[in-house]
Amino acid sequence: MKRRRFVKGLLALPAAPALVAQQQQPAPGGNQATLPGNASPQAAGESPALETALSDTAAQMMPRFFTTTQFAALRQLSGILMPPINGAPGAVEAHAPEFLDFLIGQSLPERQQLYQTGLDALNAQAKKRFDKTFAEADASEAAALLAPLREPWTPEPPADALARFLHAAKQDIRTATMNSPEWSAAGLASGGRRPGGFNQYWLPID
Amino acid sequence: MPAKEYDVLIIGSGASGGMAAHTLTQKGISCLMLDAGPLVDFPRQRVTKAVHELPYRGFGKPGRLPHVVQANEFNANQWVDETQVPYTHDPEEPYNWVRVRMIGGKSLFWARMSFRLSDYEFKAKDHDGFGDNWPIGYSDLAPYYDKVEPIFRVSGRKEGLAQLPDGVFLEDNSPYHEHVQRFMAAAKERGIPVTKIRRSLGRGQFASSFNLLLPDALATGKLTIVPNAVVREITIDKNTGLADGANFLDRQSRREMHAKARVVVLGASCLESTRILLNSGIANSSGVLGHYLHDQFYITQSVVAIVPAARGNAAPRAGFGGGGYIPRFRNLKTKEKNFIRGYAADFGAGGTPDAKYIPAYGEELQKALESYRGSAMSFTTMGEVLPRFENHARIDKNVVDAWGIPVLRFEARYTDNEFNMAKDAIDTYSEVCQAAGFEVLARSDKMHPPGYSIHELGTCRMGDNPKTSVLNKWNQSHDVKNLFVVDGSSFVTGGSQNPTLTILSLSMRASEYLAEQMRAGNL
Repeated sequence: MKRRRFVKGLLALPAAPALVAQQQQPAPGGNQATLPGNASPQAAGESPALETALSDTAAQMMPRFFTTTQFAALRQLSGILMPPINGAPGAVEAHAPEFLDFLIGQSLPERQQLYQTGLDALNAQAKKRFDKTFAEADASEAAALLAPLREPWTPEPPADALARFLHAAKQDIRTATMNSPEWSAAGLASGGRRPGGFNQYWLPID
Repeated sequence: MPAKEYDVLIIGSGASGGMAAHTLTQKGISCLMLDAGPLVDFPRQRVTKAVHELPYRGFGKPGRLPHVVQANEFNANQWVDETQVPYTHDPEEPYNWVRVRMIGGKSLFWARMSFRLSDYEFKAKDHDGFGDNWPIGYSDLAPYYDKVEPIFRVSGRKEGLAQLPDGVFLEDNSPYHEHVQRFMAAAKERGIPVTKIRRSLGRGQFASSFNLLLPDALATGKLTIVPNAVVREITIDKNTGLADGANFLDRQSRREMHAKARVVVLGASCLESTRILLNSGIANSSGVLGHYLHDQFYITQSVVAIVPAARGNAAPRAGFGGGGYIPRFRNLKTKEKNFIRGYAADFGAGGTPDAKYIPAYGEELQKALESYRGSAMSFTTMGEVLPRFENHARIDKNVVDAWGIPVLRFEARYTDNEFNMAKDAIDTYSEVCQAAGFEVLARSDKMHPPGYSIHELGTCRMGDNPKTSVLNKWNQSHDVKNLFVVDGSSFVTGGSQNPTLTILSLSMRASEYLAEQMRAGNL
């Protein structure tokens, strides 16, 4: 059986170049546009430019790294730290929590631990002070738990693990929001004031 | 095909190697240039992308390029891959070695700040007794600065400062904004000068060896550039004890090759040149090869201040921008209590502070940012690091790169002199800002690891004494007389000025000397 398949493969080989040559031949009569179903006439050697979409426009991210409780806290935190303002999407609308779940899941253990222990500490504090999870905390309760973010910035990260996490998360949530496709789309829709960051991307060097 | 023998083999195509090629070929000397990286076709190598199209949305792939703080997800592929060319250090004492391997080297991406050194650096020991003087003085190098600045089209303003000699400038006549003038007035009361930035304008999008030096050298017909040539070692003729070429590997195929030349010029960057010499086992009778590693410590956003008059769309906000430079002012005529040498700073005006500095979040943070928009001044402190024997790079025999070449191991740390200097800088800039009526929003004396400034210097230092230096005053090896090292490794001390203009000038000077020695039949 295997031998038969191999022989069949060998027999098929000479046909391949002929097929390629056939594809490169102009259509009989020289006018490809007259062929039925040919929406985009191409010169010899050209390949069609097909329009594609970002996965984010067609599907949703699936959080995998954080526990359900941790992710709920991150989502609540994101909404508080970066709400929708002046027509720009907030962190939740920009799916920053889902993106951070991916990013932190890919990060080095030290970064993962910062987030996991930070989110656990937020929930533990909420439980201790208000007998609920951080995701269930109301605005004033959340504000009390986020007091470290009202402390002045210091060059060295805070010694307290929760404060250290909150300062890191404040920056990350902001960046994840402003670098999202939702933020870019909103910027374009508002006349390009916030079209998102464009830059020259270096392709890998061969 | 018989191998061709060149007059000079130049290793490295960046600022120093490029200047060597530029100088030597104009004197009719045939040169072969090897570079470990490719010739990049910039229009094809870079594409415009939105940040949300990148896999990690601008955060960068976690764990990639851990030592390159300058890397972001857009430019990550321009830097040397640390997994391909690793290096080692004690985990508790990191060193940030930032590298580029492509034709043009780091001169493709430098900040273009172009300052001369002065005799406060060349004769530093005479001022404070520490370390060693250079074997040359400012007057030896000044004629070469004069020739390099027009090539790189350095803009600046003549200021008449002994610690920052004037150059051959494209005159910068741009006015200072009135808010910057207030800062300058407050600084002047404290004896602190402020100058215009001195910057290489170059031509087009580059101020690089790539566009300013190599095309002219190629036009002579005397230069052959071979990219993707990873040099393993310099080879020595056993009969004469002289260098006769180099062994290298093709970057992609790893095919081993040997290039032959009468003279070898190393300009592979301070630490790569040092690595090649150490792996070659030459030019180290002094035992100081790899030692006296120094740089400048950089603290970006060391002080961030808000100009109240520019807040909240207040007039005269329009036009608030530009920047300036604060050259060294410490330990010139007076002596500080807890540090020697000095520091400089450049500052930018008209920016918006980073959200991290504002103790708020949500809508309150956004409103604060709106009110601060365009009203900030931020200072980057750049301090002299003392060259110390104990700070060094050596070969780590246990680790090789992707081409099987042993890598470097670093031992370098800053000392109280640098830490005290940084504290003084931050205190002083804060004081001047407050005296000018500005609000100091943030201040930081936290340093990155050594190497962060990408100004590594000093591992093949020059000197008159072969027992305490690797090179003589012409960048020529004491041990191997047809070997020259023309990059930043020859520095004895680096001051607080960005080093590239001095590297270019030293390379031109050494190359003119080399050409004359060849003409006279001495090499």
